[in-house]
Amino acid sequence: MSRLLVVDDEANIRLLYSEELSDEGYTVDTAATIAEAVEKMGQNSFDLAVLDIKLKNESGIELLQKIVKERHDMPVILCSAFSCYKDDFSAWLADSYVVKSGDLTELKEEIKRVLAKKAQRRASEM
Amino acid sequence: MGNGTEIDWERCWDKESLSGGECPFIGAEDAELLGSRSRRFLQKCCECERFKRDIRSFADTGHPLATAFSVLQTECSRQKAQIETLANFLDTKTLEMRFMHELGSVLQSSVDLDEVLSIALTAITAGKGFGMNRAFLLLADRERHLLKGHLAIGPRDAEEAGQTWKEIDSGDQDLQALSQSFRYKKLNSERYKFQDILEKLVISLDDTQHIIMRALDEHKSILVTDAFHRQDLDREFAALLGVDTFLVLPLITRNRRVGAIIADNFITHRPITEQDMRSIETFTFPVAFAIERASLYERVQEEVDKLRQANIRLQEQQEQLVRMEKMALVGRITSSIAHSIRNPLMVIGGFARSILKSTAENDLKRSFIESIVNETRQMEEVLQEILTYSEAMYPTSDFWDPNQLVESALRDIQDRALSQDYRCQFHPADNIPTVFIDFKQTEYCIRNIIISSIDGLQNGIIDISTSLNHDYVDVRIVDKNRILSEDELEAMLTPFTEVREMGSGLNMALSRSMLEKQNISLLVVAPPEGGVTYTIKLPTRKEENHEQTARS
Repeated sequence: MSRLLVVDDEANIRLLYSEELSDEGYTVDTAATIAEAVEKMGQNSFDLAVLDIKLKNESGIELLQKIVKERHDMPVILCSAFSCYKDDFSAWLADSYVVKSGDLTELKEEIKRVLAKKAQRRASEM
Repeated sequence: MGNGTEIDWERCWDKESLSGGECPFIGAEDAELLGSRSRRFLQKCCECERFKRDIRSFADTGHPLATAFSVLQTECSRQKAQIETLANFLDTKTLEMRFMHELGSVLQSSVDLDEVLSIALTAITAGKGFGMNRAFLLLADRERHLLKGHLAIGPRDAEEAGQTWKEIDSGDQDLQALSQSFRYKKLNSERYKFQDILEKLVISLDDTQHIIMRALDEHKSILVTDAFHRQDLDREFAALLGVDTFLVLPLITRNRRVGAIIADNFITHRPITEQDMRSIETFTFPVAFAIERASLYERVQEEVDKLRQANIRLQEQQEQLVRMEKMALVGRITSSIAHSIRNPLMVIGGFARSILKSTAENDLKRSFIESIVNETRQMEEVLQEILTYSEAMYPTSDFWDPNQLVESALRDIQDRALSQDYRCQFHPADNIPTVFIDFKQTEYCIRNIIISSIDGLQNGIIDISTSLNHDYVDVRIVDKNRILSEDELEAMLTPFTEVREMGSGLNMALSRSMLEKQNISLLVVAPPEGGVTYTIKLPTRKEENHEQTARS
């Protein structure tokens, strides 16, 4: 089963994602800061990351750039309030963008779609 | 030895006074001479045949004073003739000075190039001026390093000459009136009339052997005679003018070659003398100075107009920026508030949904949880509307100056380029129209392309230019230092693919994708011999649905 990394500065949101995505059968790790996320990425290999854009004093875009540069085979889904991503065009580097909502259906569908696309790309490379 | 009584004297010259009609050489206009013997004697008698006869008769007497008297009389006549010549010369010079004064006053009062040229050519050809038949004016084109025929004046044949001179004679006009008449009635027609000659009067400023360039280099006028047979003169040039005698007058100010004037007597063939040349020569400096001043004034006016236009554009764009900033601020505040509300709302709604999933269908509290889910969904919808509205307040596409766009992008990367010893040379096109773009996004893309080009390299040059290409303004970025293979070029434009030190995470694919969303194409050419050229085609027109596409 795929391993996901959820990065959000809100503890309750991390908990919600963790619960809901675990229910979907994913192994979910969470991080509150970029440093924590980087540390976890060093310890485990993740199939996908779900990033919030606004992380207290940090920017999820910074982490996105780091992932694209160093782990470009790891897809990223940005999850934030609508419009924020337009402030930084680097957000366009993400594989998908989902508007934060209490209804996680869209996020779950996007995770499935992005992972399937990744698998397809891998298959074609082999 | 004889005496006075033996000579048959006329002796009219000896009378103290004469009555009217007594002397045939004194008319009514010289009546005052009748009463003054000394004046009459000096002015009239010395030349009079009667007096001369008396002198001869006196000489025949062998009187010792007769020879001396004869010598004195001859010398007196000679000096009188000399005085008359000098008086005539003085008159001519006085007229010339008056004319030069008039010319100087008229030239000094004008900063209009056409007016100055009209005055100069009219002065050379007018009968009240230097009275030459024709004059050609050549002006220096410093950019092309040429001397070119600019304007001419004069008749093309005897018939036209007769008619023109008759018209001029019939009206008693001064130089200013004549030149004004030429400027408003004949300037263009004369230019058209002499077009065949003027367009062939093109001389390189480096052609030191040409007669006109010699006059300019040596700072002196040249009177050319026997033009058709001179070895030092281009035969074609003489044939073009159609005369064997003409004047070449250099126009020079402070060692700057302003132009030259060629003047001739094509119709009357009146010989041109050294004296003519010296007279006209004195007027070339004020003419050259006036032309130079008028040209500079014209250029200053052009620059003032450009500045005025630029100022208007700047004001418009400043207003636009202020509007944009205000709207962006409203958008940011709204967005920030919405973001703060959305997180707790999401947690409430999300956990409510989780609880709902694990709540039995017959659980009495299920309806409460359903209410929480529905209410939070409704609140999220309202929030979405607010965010969509605030998003709409961000300005997107508008008309912008493409040169300003590039300059803005270059300003942002200036420090980075300097730190890598890179020079970004911008060649903006003049007078290009505005383009319909999202300034922020397009500027970001230009910046991204330049950063990607210089990334990982040291000491190079990036050439950036703007040019109008039909309905588009092309922004061309030329990176001469990089060599890309076909595969590398393709990889560069593919998302998430790195190309030898070029991928800094913000790759070219992102720029292309962003530009495509605005319907702007990005063309990349990398020939095998090296260099990469990026061409961004910015639309000068607002296409239908363009704005929607740009925002989608």
